[in-house]
Amino acid sequence: MRREGRPVFLNVLQIRLPIPGIVSFGHRISGVLLFLAIPLSIYLLDRSLHDPQGFSDVKALTGSILFLPVLLALLWSLSHHLLAGIRFLFIDIDLGVDKPTARKTAWGVLGGGVVLALILLGVWL
Amino acid sequence: MSRRGLQGQRPWIFQRLTAIYLAVYFVYFIVALLAGAGADYESWRAWLTHPLMFTATGLFFGALLLHAWIGVRDVILDYVHPFALRLTALTLVGLFLLGCGLWALKVLILATLG
Repeated sequence: MRREGRPVFLNVLQIRLPIPGIVSFGHRISGVLLFLAIPLSIYLLDRSLHDPQGFSDVKALTGSILFLPVLLALLWSLSHHLLAGIRFLFIDIDLGVDKPTARKTAWGVLGGGVVLALILLGVWL
Repeated sequence: MSRRGLQGQRPWIFQRLTAIYLAVYFVYFIVALLAGAGADYESWRAWLTHPLMFTATGLFFGALLLHAWIGVRDVILDYVHPFALRLTALTLVGLFLLGCGLWALKVLILATLG
């Protein structure tokens, strides 16, 4: 909603987003990805519960190399969304709001999301 | 942020309550998988159709869809401004999530009966 007389600066290439901003943006992106993955997840759950054949089909499909990019995207989305979400909940109750702490926890979430995604990949495969 | 004419506080609280439930369910789910709940078809189905887990998973999908609705609704309100387009986007997302919810419920119930 643009109002007259107020400057607007939205050159995305020139805005230097601080680390907490990147975490926040990642939280939104991962959230949308997870939203889009809901039907796929229900489909896989359905197949896996249908019969032993369906169960092994789901295992084979989700463990295949072709599925790996999707799996990685989803596991990272889950990890990042979870960790960034926990960070936001703490900030909601006024914990870790000051700048140095907020920066540190933002780095922790960014790195932790990748590490947790790889751990989950290990659990899955 | 454009929230004019819309309730803000209730969705805000629901978003956080559902987040906590989803996080707890997720952690339990991973721990159970590590403990072998998904080792083979029989144990996988027995685990998910156990009355407690059936209820917890039903609640999980309810919380997930509410959480997704509030989140995507906020994204749409942030980026989609023309009224007709916004209404269309919100309607489509709502129907999509409602459909997903009914489908998930059907999957769970059929697995329990079958």
